[in-house]
Amino acid sequence: MTQRLPQTREVPRRLRAAVRRRVERTKQRARDYRSRTEDGAIAMDGLVFASVIVTFLSFLAGSRWTVIPVVVFLASMGVGWYRYQAEAAKITTLLTTVITVSILTLIVAFLVIESVPAVRLMGLDLLTQIRNPTMDDPALGQGLWGRNDVWSLTPMMLGTAVTTLIATLIAAPIGIAGAVFVSEIAPRRVREVVKPGIELMAGIPSITYGFIGLTIVNQYFYLEFGTPTIGTYFAAGLMIGIMALPTVVTVAEDALNAVPESIKSGALAIGSTRWQTTKSVTIPAGLSGVSAGVLLGIGRAMGETMAATVMLTHTKGFPSPVFDVFSNYGETLTTVIAFEGGNASGVHMSALFAAGVVLFVMVMLLSVASQYVEWRMYQKLGGEQ
Amino acid sequence: MSSVTENRLAAADSTTGDLVSLGVIGVATLTFLASWLLLLQWVDETATVAGLSVLKLLGVGLAVIGGGLVVIGVGSRFDYIDTTPSSSAGAPVGVVFGVLWAILGGLAATLLLENAVVLWLPVAVVFGVVGFLASVLPGEDVGSTLPVAAILILLGVVVAIGGVNAGWTWSPDWSSASFPGSELVPILVVFGTLLGAWSAGKAKEGFGAEGRQAGAYYLIGSVVFAMLGVLGLLIGFIVTNGLQTTLTGASLLGGRQTIPFVGLQVAWPEFPFLLNQTGGLYVEIPGVLPALVGTLWLVVGAVSFAVPLGIGAAVFLTEYAERGRFTQVVEVATNGLWSTPSIVFGLFGLAFLVPRISGGNSIVVGQLVLGFMLLPLVLITSREAILAVPDARRDASAALGVTKWQTIRSVVLPAAMPGTITGVILGVGRIAGETAPLLLVFGGSPYPSTTPNVLGGFRFSAQPPFVTNEALLSPASALPYQLYSTITAGVFPKEIFTNTEFGWGTALVLLLVVVGLYAIGVGSRLYFRRKLHNE
Repeated sequence: MTQRLPQTREVPRRLRAAVRRRVERTKQRARDYRSRTEDGAIAMDGLVFASVIVTFLSFLAGSRWTVIPVVVFLASMGVGWYRYQAEAAKITTLLTTVITVSILTLIVAFLVIESVPAVRLMGLDLLTQIRNPTMDDPALGQGLWGRNDVWSLTPMMLGTAVTTLIATLIAAPIGIAGAVFVSEIAPRRVREVVKPGIELMAGIPSITYGFIGLTIVNQYFYLEFGTPTIGTYFAAGLMIGIMALPTVVTVAEDALNAVPESIKSGALAIGSTRWQTTKSVTIPAGLSGVSAGVLLGIGRAMGETMAATVMLTHTKGFPSPVFDVFSNYGETLTTVIAFEGGNASGVHMSALFAAGVVLFVMVMLLSVASQYVEWRMYQKLGGEQ
Repeated sequence: MSSVTENRLAAADSTTGDLVSLGVIGVATLTFLASWLLLLQWVDETATVAGLSVLKLLGVGLAVIGGGLVVIGVGSRFDYIDTTPSSSAGAPVGVVFGVLWAILGGLAATLLLENAVVLWLPVAVVFGVVGFLASVLPGEDVGSTLPVAAILILLGVVVAIGGVNAGWTWSPDWSSASFPGSELVPILVVFGTLLGAWSAGKAKEGFGAEGRQAGAYYLIGSVVFAMLGVLGLLIGFIVTNGLQTTLTGASLLGGRQTIPFVGLQVAWPEFPFLLNQTGGLYVEIPGVLPALVGTLWLVVGAVSFAVPLGIGAAVFLTEYAERGRFTQVVEVATNGLWSTPSIVFGLFGLAFLVPRISGGNSIVVGQLVLGFMLLPLVLITSREAILAVPDARRDASAALGVTKWQTIRSVVLPAAMPGTITGVILGVGRIAGETAPLLLVFGGSPYPSTTPNVLGGFRFSAQPPFVTNEALLSPASALPYQLYSTITAGVFPKEIFTNTEFGWGTALVLLLVVVGLYAIGVGSRLYFRRKLHNE
């Protein structure tokens, strides 16, 4: 503690120094830009940027005059392309990059803005309430969606958790086995058939999976296992798991392939069998990449909409016991948005946006985690090359 | 010479052992396939083969596998069969067997005693510990055969003597569903045969390191086989179910086409399901033309929005920007966009684009939203393609005194084109089948009677925004959206197809479009990669 104190006191000073350095560097860069660029090109840059910003602002305001800045942009870009092509190309590519980043920013901003009314009404109860306090006899999990202005996402969050868990239990082991097969076991000829086949599997649209799930899988469980309704968490989770498989296989296989050949050859050279090499060398070395694949697969399963929307019953509530995956309840964060988003309004719509926020945050966490894990693996393996 | 070939490291040749384990593997494979036939209901569970019901036959199969494993394990232990087992099967195997035994013990206790935790938990724990020890303590040959064999024989005998038959059901309290023997037995048999094949595979190579390799390969191989089987079944289902609907009224030369200006009529292929409107009074065979055209416009719009943006950003990131904070932010944002669920894109379109552009569902909003979804894929793939262009080419170009932009335009981009095109095709395959955002921002009437007339829809006016396109600003139908509405809408307006038939037909057309795009993408990638390696 006493040692830390002087350090804390130094923080403002260091911060100031850092800011000064940053300002200095920016100034230098501006001077460089000024001296290297022709006056006309600078004018074009300014005009282009100004017109893009005005376009965006007037579009945001919903103005009918948005077309004017667009025309200004096109005109300045056209003249600029004719006179200073290199500079115009550079500014175009910079613009496209900025637009790409700002799309994600806009998504976050609009999801959050639209979900404000629901959050203002419910507060944290939106994510935690499991009984409706305004009902005379508040039963567990009943009337949580819209009765007496109570909106709670808990049943849907449970649904997402259950289906994602089932899907992961199916996709993770089978997917890893598939990745090991494709990258380590299969002879070249087999691999050349299996790998595109698995990628093709990723291409089948989710609504098609949903249609098969609805007409075949749901019916099968209803007829053979006597589920109370046509459509259960288990059937949906099974289908989502099959859909998430290709993602896991592809990413995990890439990771196993990225393990340097020299490591594998070393293990084989000291007399290990191929399986021993795979088990004790390749998989541990590529483990981060494999888990990144599994994380991505979980993200896909969580965000999967159409198959679940078509297959589930859209009854909100908690099964009892919680792990009864064959109950009549069935609603996830994605299905509620897809099913009710078309004709919702007011707080209802806002609550759907809140569901979107929860979903987005979860998937984003998974995505960042998988990127981090993958980055660490390449750091580790890259150090030896 | 012979001493070299005979001197195998792992095991001496052992004909008896080989034969027994081959037999076990054969029976396991047959039983495995047979139980899938039952599960997929291609064979009825009451069917009989040679006087025995199929379920009992499965039980016999399991028992035979178990018996064979006992022979191998005991034979190897007492050196009737030459093997080179390790000293123990290892802890992972022990844990798996322990868990299996625990489940078995727990189930037996609930069935025989009573369903109370106090009663079944101790039994399960004891069984689990016994299973663990039985597989870890003895040598590998006994440890990895006998514990499996015990389970398989027990299960097989119970099924074979009719203790569990087709009419028997297990309905536990915690589940709303009940599990009839007719389904439960094949499921258990699938797992049982996998275990048996693993064990026999190990034995065939004489245990030890090579045996473990063989066992693992059997297991992984059958899992992958099942996975590809599922893929084949999925596609097969759609094709067999959809083919009849799709081909209704179709003929190769049945149609008549009038050649313009000449007035001559020639035979022409006829394909009503693809070329007819869905709704409308005078349509005999309803088709998917409006949805097909809708999908086409969506894809065209999304591509013309996302491809320039994505390639531009990729060029900036690889050629102009210095690696640092900014490129990292862009990378995280791109990956974030890539993993954002499609329904969230739909919500975004609903909140941001719909009120500002059309005030309701419309084609142009659908195009933009799908473009947002396509953007990260285009960016990632074209960036990879640009990075893969060797620096030597850039340097050579620079050495000739060519400016940076000209180098990019005439050296880097052409070299990166194949990779980029492949990425775009794969991405288009993905968005062409995308449904969720369309529900929120795009979809109109489920059974339209006209195709969207985008090209003829442009109108000019003196009022801002000066150019409007009524067709782009109104909702339409697309193949995946059509399939969704067919599933949910209920009644199909024509009598010729039922709802489900029309659905299967639409699904087949959608699958052909998407898989066709994917096949082109994957094929072109293989082609370009091979070309690159040959250089």
